[in-house]
Amino acid sequence: MDDVTTKTNPTADGDNASRARKTGSEAEVWDGVRELIGDERIELGHHWSFNLRNDPKRFPFVLSRYKFAAKMAAPSTGPRRSVLELGCSEGLGTMVLAESASRYHGVDLDADAVATAARNWATPTRTFETCDFLNDERGEAKVFGTFDGVVSLDVIEHIAPDAEPKYWRAVTGNLADDGVAVIGTPNQTSEAYASPMSKAGHINLFTFERMHATLHGHFENVLLFGLNDEMVHTGFAPMCHYVMGVGIGPKRPGN
Amino acid sequence: MAATEETDSRWRPVVDLMAGAPPVELGVMHSYHARKTPRRLLYTTSYYKFAAKLIAANTPPARKGAARVLDVGCGEGIGTYLVAKECGSARGVDFDVDLIETARRNWVERGADAGEPICAFEAKDFLAEPRADFDAVINFDVIEHIQPDNAAGFIGGMAANLRPGGIAVVGTPNVTSAVYASAVTNAGHVNLYDADRLHNEMAARFRRVLMFGANDEVVHTGFAPMCHYLIAVGVGPKKD
Repeated sequence: MDDVTTKTNPTADGDNASRARKTGSEAEVWDGVRELIGDERIELGHHWSFNLRNDPKRFPFVLSRYKFAAKMAAPSTGPRRSVLELGCSEGLGTMVLAESASRYHGVDLDADAVATAARNWATPTRTFETCDFLNDERGEAKVFGTFDGVVSLDVIEHIAPDAEPKYWRAVTGNLADDGVAVIGTPNQTSEAYASPMSKAGHINLFTFERMHATLHGHFENVLLFGLNDEMVHTGFAPMCHYVMGVGIGPKRPGN
Repeated sequence: MAATEETDSRWRPVVDLMAGAPPVELGVMHSYHARKTPRRLLYTTSYYKFAAKLIAANTPPARKGAARVLDVGCGEGIGTYLVAKECGSARGVDFDVDLIETARRNWVERGADAGEPICAFEAKDFLAEPRADFDAVINFDVIEHIQPDNAAGFIGGMAANLRPGGIAVVGTPNVTSAVYASAVTNAGHVNLYDADRLHNEMAARFRRVLMFGANDEVVHTGFAPMCHYLIAVGVGPKKD
């Protein structure tokens, strides 16, 4: 079930590779490599196929955000942790977030995208669900369980400001007491350079200051990082292209 | 000619401004670094910058710029000052009296800032009287010098000095880099960590531990065994 592309530990691949033949013609050696690689072919969905064709440099940016989120919320160090992704789309981040997680659940409003995600990435411990996580049957933020991490990238800038309290309830309501939330969104200072298509969807942009104040309203501990392209750092906030907020330990009502 | 005068008239006030700054003296440790391995000054201040940014982020907006930081094993205090500048104030402690005197001369007595100094330095054992009210406790290149039997007490001391919800930032060379370290460096290292052990020992005293790595001055979250340096962030001390 677990194919070679999901292996997290390079030494495990190395052990397999060391058993492969290294003598003979290049083609014979390569055949050995091919046997290790397997023959799976993953077909990306519309969203990421479009992105790759139109602006392929977004690929490393987005994967880097997910890698960082995974290192914060469900790292390979320490006990294995469960993670919920709010706004998983086609599950491009699933492969990164779920790599070291004990369990992953991805939710999104877009049924087509979720179907693609499930087709490509679902396993018994990696599950997907089409739903509006802002509205359960009572119109409240939806609770999927108690997760060690909640990751939500490029979502909050699309949430109408009056629905934002519910968004935060969805984030904190699904988190364990010591849970880690990772919220990523473009820096408002980068909006001047955004494409018309991006701009059209952005109705709720954050500066670092606003993210800082907002996260402190919802979490005991707050850390902020910035990205330029795929580089995650702690440089001068207004010049960061992207804001990555990390909230740890949700504040509970009445606490 | 006119252009030169223009340049000069603009440059002169800058020169005058800079002339007012009291000189900073490198002490025995940083002078050694400057002569033998100047890049270390870059790496060390980069780690402190990283810590400063996290501490500032963890400080609620109402207390912006008022965080209190304890820097354990502060040496000559250049990082202590950096963190104090970014976060509010900092107290540096170190058992080396000579380094503390250098720190005090540079960052307290000759403080470039008018008014109250933002740093204080003491030659003492920080574990002696935990104050339990710091917003952050930081230490770089210290825990590898602590005998393994005392490491749990050292980490416990960080937690004991923190307010609820405070953070600890611990930096230390990765054990995987020891084969490349100089004889001088290796001589003092009695307790080198890999990422798992650092995580696990910190996790005994903190609610959550976030692991970072550094190669040269770049702090990142890359594959742990290939990180030259490890930085653990302990979030929220556990109650005893």
